[in-house]
Amino acid sequence: MKDHGFGLALLVAGLAVTAAAQSSNAASGPYVPGVTFQNFNPNYPKPNPFYFEGKIDWEKLGITQPANAWEYSQRAIHKQDDLGDIPGAIADYQQALDLNSLTKGTCQLVTSATLVNGVLPSTLNPAPCMFTVRLRLAYLMRKTSPETSISLYKEVQQIDPLRLDVSALLAEVYVIEAENAATPDAKQAAYANAIATYNAELLLSPVTPDYTVLTGDEANNAHVHWGLAAVYEKLNRPADAISELNLYLKASKWHSDTYPWRIPLAQKKIEALGKEIAQRDATQ
Amino acid sequence: MVVWAVGVCIPLAAQTLVGNPTESAFKSQEYQRPQNCLPCHQRQFDELRSSVKSGYRNVSPLFNGLETAGNFLGGGLLRPVYSDSPLVLTDGTPLNTNMFTSSPLIRTRQVQAGFCYTCHNPIIERDANDPTKREVPQLAGVAVDFKPELFRPLRDYHLVDSNGKQVLPTDPGGPPPVGAGPSLGASGITCDMCHNVGGPDLTRSFQNDAFANMSLLLNKSIEKVGPFAFPVAVKGNFHVASSDQSKIDYLRSGAFCNACHDVRVPNNNLTASEGSSQPGGDQVKYFRLENLSTEWQIGAYNSTNNPFGKVVRCQDCHMSQFPFGGNSTYKVGNLTITSPTPGVFATDFAAVPGVSTEGNYPLPQRKVVNHNFTGVDVPLLSIAELRSRLGADYPDVFQTGTDAHGIPLSLESRREALLKAAVRIDTSLSDKTAAVGGLFTARVEAVSLSGHRFPAGFSQERTTYIKLNVTDDNGFLLYQSGYLVDKPHPNTGEAGPDGNLDDEDIEHAHAIVDPGRNTPTYTPGAATNGSTNLVFESGADNGPDSRLYSGKPEGLVLFRNELTRIFLPGDSLGRKDANGNPIVVQRAHFEETFNASFANSVDNYRSLSPLEPTTFSYEIQLPTQEELDQLGVQLKFPLHVHAQVDYEHFPPLFLRYLTQITGANGPAGHSLNLVDENRIDAFLRNIPNLASSDSVVGQQ
Repeated sequence: MKDHGFGLALLVAGLAVTAAAQSSNAASGPYVPGVTFQNFNPNYPKPNPFYFEGKIDWEKLGITQPANAWEYSQRAIHKQDDLGDIPGAIADYQQALDLNSLTKGTCQLVTSATLVNGVLPSTLNPAPCMFTVRLRLAYLMRKTSPETSISLYKEVQQIDPLRLDVSALLAEVYVIEAENAATPDAKQAAYANAIATYNAELLLSPVTPDYTVLTGDEANNAHVHWGLAAVYEKLNRPADAISELNLYLKASKWHSDTYPWRIPLAQKKIEALGKEIAQRDATQ
Repeated sequence: MVVWAVGVCIPLAAQTLVGNPTESAFKSQEYQRPQNCLPCHQRQFDELRSSVKSGYRNVSPLFNGLETAGNFLGGGLLRPVYSDSPLVLTDGTPLNTNMFTSSPLIRTRQVQAGFCYTCHNPIIERDANDPTKREVPQLAGVAVDFKPELFRPLRDYHLVDSNGKQVLPTDPGGPPPVGAGPSLGASGITCDMCHNVGGPDLTRSFQNDAFANMSLLLNKSIEKVGPFAFPVAVKGNFHVASSDQSKIDYLRSGAFCNACHDVRVPNNNLTASEGSSQPGGDQVKYFRLENLSTEWQIGAYNSTNNPFGKVVRCQDCHMSQFPFGGNSTYKVGNLTITSPTPGVFATDFAAVPGVSTEGNYPLPQRKVVNHNFTGVDVPLLSIAELRSRLGADYPDVFQTGTDAHGIPLSLESRREALLKAAVRIDTSLSDKTAAVGGLFTARVEAVSLSGHRFPAGFSQERTTYIKLNVTDDNGFLLYQSGYLVDKPHPNTGEAGPDGNLDDEDIEHAHAIVDPGRNTPTYTPGAATNGSTNLVFESGADNGPDSRLYSGKPEGLVLFRNELTRIFLPGDSLGRKDANGNPIVVQRAHFEETFNASFANSVDNYRSLSPLEPTTFSYEIQLPTQEELDQLGVQLKFPLHVHAQVDYEHFPPLFLRYLTQITGANGPAGHSLNLVDENRIDAFLRNIPNLASSDSVVGQQ
């Protein structure tokens, strides 16, 4: 959580400096070292035409009440990351989405049709659809409303089909959906979606011969292979699980894992699953 | 000849050759080598010489490599033009002023011309309007006429023979010719550079505020501006110590540093509309590369509302005893901080007694600044290489001992101490208990203690991150973030792991940057000149993106800012899909890039905000009992959370990109002898553990 005791005092000081600069009009007033400064807030980016999708320190924006989709999204990020106010963050993300909505036509996908004589205009009406607000709300809703989460991730895939990690996050929601499925068919369908979506993630950074020559890697994205292996285990498909675990080991060979114990565990699992297959074959 | 601005053709209004004429009433004086100041200012000379901005930067393989990469991409547009330039724009107006000699600075091509060189060598650039004083020539051809095979790194031009005549390495980028020594321009930032200051040049800054673009007025006279209002007369009138209070105040202010320590790249920023507000300059668009001065300007140190109760200037940390002048203890949020005190100055003579004053007038001892200008960089050249280009007396950056005021002579030691003063972390907000198979959250509160964000400067490359380990009481590693793995780098010839972790990138993203290639006909842009990502994928510790965009509390906490390229529909991504087909972007696509010249957006908010603690969470899944059984591990509580802040002054990936783009297979078609795998292995040294914190987690 972000501290606000000293931070607020700094904000006041910062705003005072900015105000001084504004009142002195940098363009025409006498130069005063440490005071003369541009007459706009350097922390508030004016879209051109894309929104700044990262996180700006909320206090530096000088906003008292959000007035547009981006300002709501920034306050939501602040509430989520700095205050731990998840309900407040969700409410602000939803407000931001309401003002930056594909279905309501308050945002647009930037395609070749958006360009004018091959050039991107600096202003788009409606504005470009934002991805951060969708990704963050999707993550917060993944357990309470998987269907909302899935819908939001799919919107991000429309905004930027090449964006990394979106399919992996979406696949994780399908897994949640499968675990909570009411029927075997629904479970199977959700797992099938998870497999397809994990594989879509892998296709975004394919391991080609050129890739291996450049990096020495024979597989990528260890976490996706780990996730796929887990799905196959749930589906009782040990051969597929072994295949994914082997790819996991290849992908982690030069990169390890945030959970390094998964590497020896993958080897143990491969052994165990191999025995399972052998036993199954023996009984058939 | 026709010059193309990037993207659009811009009509250039009639230009006036300004070039900062002297505004001093004192008689004119040629630009002086720092050695000419040495007899009376030995201490200052020695201190300045050991700073990277003096000398090293001009011969740095990194600075030279990045400037080269930018020129390869744009067609030589970053090289200066001069008053005798034959270049004209498409509307027939001449282009004969560069970033430093254009006043007002209102055209994109003026900003590009000498973009890097202007801050690193402004007076040499200005004086180069006289061809007899010119070190760096104007390129014979730019844009479509650019010849990468003929291109030389800037440092090739900073060599002279024993008669002071310029000599060039036989091969572009090759070793200095036998007997060659440093030119006047090889010194980079010199005594004259700062002490000739006449004030801010508002017309050269985009917002009329003297930020960026080397917006200083530099006189060319014997009037030297120092910090003292009543200076003693100088022996022989070699120079006159200025008594102009406005100039003295300016030199002593943090604002003096603004001209170079904000860097604004003249590329349109697609996520933040910023352009020049100068009359007639509305076509100049930019993004903020270095944003350090702005961060200071709007920060707590530019006020009395900070732990020290007074304005803390740049000089108070970078030209003082800091961080060797004693400590202060204060509170920031809930954190009690003990850190070095800024603004502590040594007492000494400002000049050498007995030789420097008229009539040997006695000098008082006063509070004096030092000129070490310690920052976050150390040379990536051997001492032999440094001396071959900068003179046999160039100091050893690793020398032992301290100066008369207790400051280490070693630049490496000073850098490490400065960095360790800049950040603190605390893990005490982590969950107090955890259960096998459950989730628990480790929390790291981090705060920057600098007058700007941390890291600052070229903050998109300065790599500062949290290394976090969670172990059980037996040392079994349950979770790691901010870790390095020794691996091969076939793209730069490292066939297998070499036992060195300092040449490894943190595992948040895996990328290989396209170095481009030599082609029979040069075409500006990335297609054959590199900078797109041949490999780009999420790493195993995909932290910054997960945290920022997805809000997922996992993975690497990276304080490095990010340069971004927003590819537009129809743009080629530069790599191939699974079927071997080139990927052409159908929708707007954001991707990290490693060349500022290729960026059209930047995120400067990943660095730590000064004096405002921020908490980063790691939601960690502990193994289940079944998994522990499979592993044959018995988890022993308590768990131990260890976090530390580690630092790399450049990501190895960036050095490998420069290795390739300036290498034999790059656009030049031959090696420019700047960076290679051996140099990376020999000189890139990380600084671990700038700050650390530990906590324990009991069993639930």
